[in-house]
Amino acid sequence: MSKILIVDDDPDIQEACRLVLEKEGFQVGCASNRAEGLRAVADVKPDLLILDVMMEEPDDGLTMARELRRQGFTEPIIMLTSVNAAMGLTIDRDDEMVPVDKFQSKPVEPATLVAQVNELLGL
Amino acid sequence: MLKIPESTTRDDIVAIVERHGADRTSLIPILQDVKTAEHEISDEAMQIVADLLGIHPVEVYSVATFYAFLHGATEGRYVVRLCGTLSCDFAGKTAVAEALRSALGIDFGATTDDGVFTLEWASCVGMCDQGPALLVNDRVFTRVTPEKVAEIVAQYRGKAADDARQDIVTARNELTYASIAAGAGLKAALALPRGDIVDTVSGAALKGRGGAGFPTGMKWNFCAAEKSEHKYIICNADEGEPGTFKDRVILRDFADLVFEGMTIGGRAIGASMGIVYLRAEYAYLRAHLNDVIHQRREAGLLGANIGGIEGFDFDIVVARGAGAYVCGEETALIESLEGFRGEPRNRPPFPAVAGFLNHPTVVNNVETLASVACIFAKGTDWFKGFGTDKSTGYKLFSISGDCEKPGVYEFPWGITIADLLKEVGGGGAKAVQIGGASGVCVPARDFARRLAFEDIPTGGSVMVIGPQRDLLDVAENFLEFFVEESCGQCTPCRLGNAQLLDGVELLKSGACSAAHLADLKALGATMQVAAKCGLGQTSPSAFLSIVGAFADDVTTRPQRA
Repeated sequence: MSKILIVDDDPDIQEACRLVLEKEGFQVGCASNRAEGLRAVADVKPDLLILDVMMEEPDDGLTMARELRRQGFTEPIIMLTSVNAAMGLTIDRDDEMVPVDKFQSKPVEPATLVAQVNELLGL
Repeated sequence: MLKIPESTTRDDIVAIVERHGADRTSLIPILQDVKTAEHEISDEAMQIVADLLGIHPVEVYSVATFYAFLHGATEGRYVVRLCGTLSCDFAGKTAVAEALRSALGIDFGATTDDGVFTLEWASCVGMCDQGPALLVNDRVFTRVTPEKVAEIVAQYRGKAADDARQDIVTARNELTYASIAAGAGLKAALALPRGDIVDTVSGAALKGRGGAGFPTGMKWNFCAAEKSEHKYIICNADEGEPGTFKDRVILRDFADLVFEGMTIGGRAIGASMGIVYLRAEYAYLRAHLNDVIHQRREAGLLGANIGGIEGFDFDIVVARGAGAYVCGEETALIESLEGFRGEPRNRPPFPAVAGFLNHPTVVNNVETLASVACIFAKGTDWFKGFGTDKSTGYKLFSISGDCEKPGVYEFPWGITIADLLKEVGGGGAKAVQIGGASGVCVPARDFARRLAFEDIPTGGSVMVIGPQRDLLDVAENFLEFFVEESCGQCTPCRLGNAQLLDGVELLKSGACSAAHLADLKALGATMQVAAKCGLGQTSPSAFLSIVGAFADDVTTRPQRA
């Protein structure tokens, strides 16, 4: 059973993702901020990370993704965020500054999220 | 009525436009050169410029009349601009103004009959520690006395007018910048991936030194993540806040650190062009800055493949402002660089997405960029060893007014006002104005408060107000400044400051009722939330803090007959 960690400060997003993903048979954990998320990655060793951007700081997710890659975390990351809509930005994934595997704007259809998770986990 | 220009004027203007390029972004440099050559920007000149740039003459008119250094009236060969800011007031500006009127035989706003001198007020020339100060064209004179006025006027009537020495001596304590080895920061930064550069700045918790205190790393982070073929990093050297002059010292003595910071920022966000927006009042620094840029190009620190990094091309140019306080606001600054009136933009979009020419842009203060170079030279732990948890590092303070040792001083964030005053001989002050005209007036009973983002944030201006001063004069000076400098775009700032100024006059004459004062306070509070930009929002702060903290003083004036 693959382990998925959700790092998002919005409890509704955490809960919704958990319901959708647990129904698909995944083991799901949650963290609410960058520091908690980094600890959880070290403890849980997830197979896939779903990462928000705007948490305690508006750019936390960007910084955390790079920090994880620096630490050698090679598992797939889905950046699930409304940062572009909220701040008028046009950010997308890129190897240097946004080192994630999928950049997905909120809101997301459950089926889309599940499909992305399955694709990244090779299921 | 269309006026037919004389051919000589047209030829001159064609040459100026060819030199700068027939592009909208060249409009202000073109008008500056026209003004220098012709001592005016005539209707004919505006029509010719408009024709050559392919824009409507009204657009040229709107820009030429917006900026203090461009306005259209004919000026003398020498424009004398006496600084009107509070510190120069304290130092004897009124007597100097009278001496200038007498020596030139004209009032402010006028030109001598022989066309040699024009006399004007300047909002602030950034010499607050050495007032009264004045500019004659681009040359600075400080500590001016009525006696010195006669010498200056005689000098410019005679042949010594070409003497370009600047009369600037700034007291300061030991600045960290002096201990930073040239190039160390850039070398360390260029050894890192772009993301690590951003994260280093974020890790140092560096906040913008211009006053707003926005986290520098976050600004860089969003801009770096944006996708665009063109990005820009702009150094905001439009240090127009009254009582602020630390950037002048940094640009003169530590320009290399500023350019290192810009280059590091350029690498981080993916910019290939940096622009220094230098305020018009600091035009005398331009040649020095260009010299330093030239030396850096020669040394391979600017240009193509910097640091041996394939594809890292970055260069810096210096653009000159034209005299508008509001251009210190980053979106107004960008408008000005694009050749428009310096009117703030609506946000979003933020400059990190759509800044200069609609490309992702970072605008950082001079001191912020110099601090970036220091952080990479000595490390984030070293930087965070100064200051407080929420205000890391050290800060340069511009200290002026009623103290023994005005100048530029470096202190760690978190210093109390009392400790700062001890260092500069400001004992006995009844108040200090923190943050310039847009800042707050702090009474002596609160001198235990700290200068830090979590207590009293500031861009570094500290004006010491001695016991002999009338705080309504202080409020009046600042409100006159805002009435003059409001860009006029939004009603709360344009009309609100004029209303507050009227209110100060009523308070001074003892004719302001308690009900009217309550209305003025409510108006100020409205301006703080309803003005369009940060400058308008902070413009009532000094008034509100003075009528709040010194209510017993300002509301008890005897009614004038």
